[in-house]
Amino acid sequence: MAVASIGRKNVKWAFLLPALIYLMLMAILPLGWTLTLSFTKWHANIMPSPKWVGLDNYKYFLFENPRFWNALGFTSMYVGISVTGELILGLILAFLLSHKFKGRNFFRVIYLIPMACPPIAVAFLWRMMLHPDIGVINTILKSIGLSAVKWTTSVNMAPFTIIMVDIWEWTPFMFLALLAAFQSLPIELYQAAAVDGANSWQMFTHITLPLIAPVIVTISLIRAIDAFKLFELVFGITGAGPGSATESLSFYVYVIGMKWFKLGRGSSISLLFLIILLIFAITLISRFKKVRTG
Amino acid sequence: MITEHGIGKRKPIGITIVIFILIIFAIWTLFPVIWAVITSFKEPGDSYKPTFIPYKQFKPTLYAWKNAFITTRDRTLRALRNSIIIATLSSTVTLLLGAFAGYSLARYEFRKWKNKDIALWILSNRMFPPVAVMIPYFLIMQKLHLLDNLLGIVMVHTTMNLPLAVWLMLDFFSELPKDLEEAAMIDGCGHFKAFFYIAIPIAAPGLVAVYVLSFIFSWNEFLFVIVLSFKKAMTLPVLIAGSLTVRGLDFWKVASLSILAIIPPVILALVLSRYLVRGLTMGAIKE
Repeated sequence: MAVASIGRKNVKWAFLLPALIYLMLMAILPLGWTLTLSFTKWHANIMPSPKWVGLDNYKYFLFENPRFWNALGFTSMYVGISVTGELILGLILAFLLSHKFKGRNFFRVIYLIPMACPPIAVAFLWRMMLHPDIGVINTILKSIGLSAVKWTTSVNMAPFTIIMVDIWEWTPFMFLALLAAFQSLPIELYQAAAVDGANSWQMFTHITLPLIAPVIVTISLIRAIDAFKLFELVFGITGAGPGSATESLSFYVYVIGMKWFKLGRGSSISLLFLIILLIFAITLISRFKKVRTG
Repeated sequence: MITEHGIGKRKPIGITIVIFILIIFAIWTLFPVIWAVITSFKEPGDSYKPTFIPYKQFKPTLYAWKNAFITTRDRTLRALRNSIIIATLSSTVTLLLGAFAGYSLARYEFRKWKNKDIALWILSNRMFPPVAVMIPYFLIMQKLHLLDNLLGIVMVHTTMNLPLAVWLMLDFFSELPKDLEEAAMIDGCGHFKAFFYIAIPIAAPGLVAVYVLSFIFSWNEFLFVIVLSFKKAMTLPVLIAGSLTVRGLDFWKVASLSILAIIPPVILALVLSRYLVRGLTMGAIKE
């Protein structure tokens, strides 16, 4: 009786509050702490407590230290090229797999594998295969008469190596999402188009693409937000090198904060990073808001 | 012949080309995993050679696996055990909190803050970069004496997975009819009883999906584990990273440890394949 007599109003909060409180304590509070720390200088190896320095850290990253801009530049380029590449490859594959044939499910299952693997395992397996001298990929290239590629040791090549592995890992995500979106489209449209003599390419460009355009934008945003957090591939494949050619924002924050223990600077750069991601996140959330009701 | 979507008339030759392209892509997708399996059965000396066929091109051995499970047994088993404990505990807490909150947002109406705004605010927590809370987490866990402790990592992984869990549970619950629960409540059944005995059983597939997704994410997570653990609380992903030494990378070691870390999430993903896309697209796409 005691439980049943709790009003509707209290019940809904009793259900919701544990999660809300947990997120307040473990997500919002720490973010507030990051904000406070970002206005301080705290080299934790040698300083017992933080010292207030106002906006110095922000000034440092925005105007004095090119490494932040370098990391932002690399990360943006990587996000742009990988997400576009994954989208194009995903569209092609989804188009091909929307044909019905024996063994179709086999391919769908195979393509699930890369995105389920721990990213750090993916990174180290590729590092092993891409080793400049004894990696299997270069030895195969040499054995068929091509020259070895400096996958991870050339400043110009290394960023594209990271992009290539990302495309390996996440094209299947785009492809499976797109395939699911294709299959939710009404079949009558295609039957009508078939009666009118349209071929499958025409159907694809005139019916499928326009109808799934909103889905394409949504999944690209989801992918872009996750891609921006790039850490494991950099950690495992190149270690941000050569030089800082493949240093991502996450990796740079990790180095400042956890290698050098410059907690104030690390906090401020991670907030700059947060602001950049926020632009993408707000776009995505406003899309979710429009699509869903309830 | 009208087959599925986007397809008009098909000649057999077309299908052959389609399958050919799909096979090429499947080889590209599988190659790293297959290569890792092959390498894990090679002796250290052979592991640097591009040989593929056991017995014919190289002598298969259990060297790497013996090293993992006999020579460095304690390290490997501890990492494996930690990975299992952290993923199991954090996804259990995630599911519990997520199911409660998702149910609340799906079944009751919030006035002051709209249901949708609460839900989207919760979801937005999934989007900020993990490094933005990395430093506070380190300091908090240091204060709580939870550095290099499984509990600290469980707490962090729960935070990481909770937003998506709430959002997906909301999604699952709103698809289910509320008639049964309402009927039960009219018969005098309390709200909590209705939740546990009626809503939970019919939402079981959704609960499993959220649990498995959280498990995979926690199992695969790397950044917070290296920040918050040094030795005792190390998980498999950190062990893999540990095979990079000053001498370079031990291929056989990377291969065997990676395979070990890859198997559980891949199996779970295959079992869950129906819900994987839905989970990864935050429910935007349903299969």
